[in-house]
Amino acid sequence: MAEYAKPLPSITSESKPFWDACRRHRFVIQRCLDCGSFQHYPRGVCASCWGDRLEWRESRGQGKVYTFTVTERTQTQGFREEVPYVVAYVELDEGVQVLTNLVGCAPGDVRIGMRVAVTFEDVNDQVSIPRFAPLEEASGAR
Amino acid sequence: MGNLRDKYCIVGVGETEYSRNSGRTTRAMAVEAIKKAMNDAGLGPKDVDGMMSYQQNDSTPSLIVGPDLGIRLNFWVDMVGGGSSTEALIGLAMGAIEVGMCRTVALFRSMNGYTEVRIGGTGARAAAPVRGQELATRPYGMTSAGQVFAPTFMRHMHDYGTSSAQVAHVKVAHSKHASQNPKALYKERVTVEDVLNSRWIVKPLRLLDCCVETDNATCLVVTSAERARDLRQRPIYLMGVAGRVSKPRTDFPWAHGPLSRVAGYYAKDIVFPMAGIGPEDVDLTGSYDAFTFTTLLQLEEYGFCKKGEGGAYVSSGIIELAGKRPNNTSGGHLCEAYTHGMNLVIENVRQLRGLADDYCPGWAEGKHSYDYSPGKCRQVKDAEIAMNLGWSTPATGSALILRR
Ligand SMILES: [Zn+2]
Repeated sequence: MAEYAKPLPSITSESKPFWDACRRHRFVIQRCLDCGSFQHYPRGVCASCWGDRLEWRESRGQGKVYTFTVTERTQTQGFREEVPYVVAYVELDEGVQVLTNLVGCAPGDVRIGMRVAVTFEDVNDQVSIPRFAPLEEASGAR
Repeated sequence: MGNLRDKYCIVGVGETEYSRNSGRTTRAMAVEAIKKAMNDAGLGPKDVDGMMSYQQNDSTPSLIVGPDLGIRLNFWVDMVGGGSSTEALIGLAMGAIEVGMCRTVALFRSMNGYTEVRIGGTGARAAAPVRGQELATRPYGMTSAGQVFAPTFMRHMHDYGTSSAQVAHVKVAHSKHASQNPKALYKERVTVEDVLNSRWIVKPLRLLDCCVETDNATCLVVTSAERARDLRQRPIYLMGVAGRVSKPRTDFPWAHGPLSRVAGYYAKDIVFPMAGIGPEDVDLTGSYDAFTFTTLLQLEEYGFCKKGEGGAYVSSGIIELAGKRPNNTSGGHLCEAYTHGMNLVIENVRQLRGLADDYCPGWAEGKHSYDYSPGKCRQVKDAEIAMNLGWSTPATGSALILRR
């Protein structure tokens, strides 16, 4: 596998179950056992009711583009070689919003509201990065 | 502010040259800006006993800079922060004086924002470990302020039909103002077409939608109204302040209204009642312009126009010098210099004094032509109340209301 040049996530105690699931190409979301709220990114406490009992639910990994931006210029390693690229907020059908990249379509074709599904890139032996692609082309859609 | 309204004043302002090659340390620049602001107020080293600054690991602390000027401090604090810090620190300075920790505060920002630490996090920072808030963003290539804010701007265009051409008028207005400002880095007037023809940076932002990057130090001096009466300049009274007001959630900030609802939505309910006025009473604004869009979103949120109508508002001429409520009359961050907000407050202080340092030969005596053609006057006629809308991110902002 070629050296992955983009910034890698630092995996924390709160986010380890999330990244472990990504490794298995599953997108999981935290759900509060006390109030039922979903939340993403992963953290140690429910932001809605402060409950400590959080479980992991598997998401279908589908949703729609809430908003996005196309980066034409950046100094970030690994990304500067790939401009233009799309950073987007995807609203999953389960209700949480996910910051991600959109792949599998030309940046000029991205529209707010378009349906997308998760796809995973195995970037090294430990980490798989979830990104989203237009629904019909998403190889990782489940 | 209750009984603190009009009890504190800004009595001195100063800055170094705005440049892209200071060739100096932030320490040396801070000393110069503080000295100028204290001279402006008619204060010597024994007259200031409080110092505040804000920085992002890119400046020199108060405890170093103060003694460089022979100032012994009774109170100092160096806060982590960029945009929206100026207004917040002015409020904290009032508090420090009110409780008796010190009597007069010099508040500075010193940064080599072009030659040392640039906004986009280039150089060494690009290889830094990913931790803290960057966990959620850097793996996806979101590293600069423009990238963080652009999705908000994109959604505003989608929800309200705001066009790039409308927003470009912010740059057009500020460039006109800069053409009347000898201190401004970019004095050339630009057109809507110039903005729309400039290259993409992060959509919907083009190059001319983005602020300048500069090396500079800026300083404001705050003291009680009682002491202000004996000083060199006409005191500028602090009517209201809101500091670092934030949205409730960082994970999905649009869960509490549209994504384009920025922190000013919350700050307005603090700052206007404190000052006892409304937006219609404000003669000029300093709405933070890290990008053209930030000016627009804040003017909407503070009620200078209706939500969603910012595009029409900023393209109507209202925000220009000849308009009803000019914004960033110095040229702001888009054209004058980038100081993380302090130059925008300094400008409003000078405007309220009637001493805008433009090309009118008699500006220092308050003699202005009010001719707003290129290279002439930039004084707003009879300006009584000014407001600063400080921006950190769409989720955090500060506000300040000043009167003469
Ligand atoms: Zn809960």
